[in-house]
Amino acid sequence: MDMASLLLISIPVGFLGSLTGLGGASILIPLLVFFGIPVKEAIASAMVSIVATSSGSASAYVRERLANIKIAMYLEMFTSVGAIVGASITTWIAPVYLYFFFAAFLTTSFLRIGRRRGQHLLRESGFSHWLELEGSYFDEALKENVRYQADRPLLGGLGMMVAGLAAGMLGIGAGAFKVTVQENILKLPPKVASTTSNFIIGMTALAGTSVYLFSGLLNVTLMAPMAVGTTIGAIAGGRLLNRISARYLRILFFFVVAALIVQMAYKGIRVW
Amino acid sequence: MVERETEGSGETRLETWVSYVLIIGVLLSLVLELAGIFLFYRSSRSIGISQSRWMFLQGRDFFALLIDLLRETLTTYSTVRLMALGVAVLILTPYVRAVMSVAYFASRKNIKYTIITAFVLTLLTVSLVSH
Repeated sequence: MDMASLLLISIPVGFLGSLTGLGGASILIPLLVFFGIPVKEAIASAMVSIVATSSGSASAYVRERLANIKIAMYLEMFTSVGAIVGASITTWIAPVYLYFFFAAFLTTSFLRIGRRRGQHLLRESGFSHWLELEGSYFDEALKENVRYQADRPLLGGLGMMVAGLAAGMLGIGAGAFKVTVQENILKLPPKVASTTSNFIIGMTALAGTSVYLFSGLLNVTLMAPMAVGTTIGAIAGGRLLNRISARYLRILFFFVVAALIVQMAYKGIRVW
Repeated sequence: MVERETEGSGETRLETWVSYVLIIGVLLSLVLELAGIFLFYRSSRSIGISQSRWMFLQGRDFFALLIDLLRETLTTYSTVRLMALGVAVLILTPYVRAVMSVAYFASRKNIKYTIITAFVLTLLTVSLVSH
């Protein structure tokens, strides 16, 4: 594999990562491992592409008022702490465990599939209102205004700390888990959860990257083409998201995650 | 026809600024990285992924590393440094967003969000400079 092919592969990966809220790294790391890149190097370098994917798509989501920056900033307190601890664990753990942790963590993504529409209906919560964790957006697919308020912010914060830990440890955005926490615990609408997750991912990745920078695992010839490709893909995905129905996004999400779990588990078993 | 009622988080000015910071940071890093890859190919006639130790970014203080990269890019011709500078700009982008958020909420006298954003900024700063 060379930089040109990595750049080209990263474009559809960034596109998918943006649409599904997974972030590109969850897809890129199994691909890099498949092409023979050491797993720790793949994890560390993918962290930087997460910053690119997140920033590229989040710029559109924030401008369209889909991502809620106050909810994001509140949750970043938890994810950043988790990411620093998680990345520190990865620098000393045996690589073989990372394949299984990666596959196991991705299975938590399916928690999201069972969620029913309508659960985000507004519930008054005093603490959440005090924290200003509320807002509204116009859904292009439903052609209606959606008002929302985050439910159980403390429990949601703890869930996001676990997401940050996994993100730092596995070099992924842990977008699926973050979206799950936001939809199932904070009871946010799917599009707000997905776009706010994308916004948070960049900050979580930055926290994790600082640990990998110290460890000397950041390969420029991997990071540069990945960052360019995923950014282009993420910007395109960001522009499409609000026009695609939530049902199609869920189906896409299911197939992408299933393929990634199989690939990483298979690789782990072979290395074992 | 439904009247649009999109308020996001209600902080319209900050949302606009954040959006610009993110897109400018990403575009600048894209330009630097693409230029680095192109010039790397022109000078070495190779675009293979390298495991040479020169290809790895390492430092105990991100900001010191960023200044070194800037100085080296301006004073010497190094395509790898150019790619590395692009990556460093990308890493810096969410950090700038965090700085801007603290300044915004402090200027609006929103104590809650000044504390929340300052906590994240402090954590990031410590993790980027204290290894």
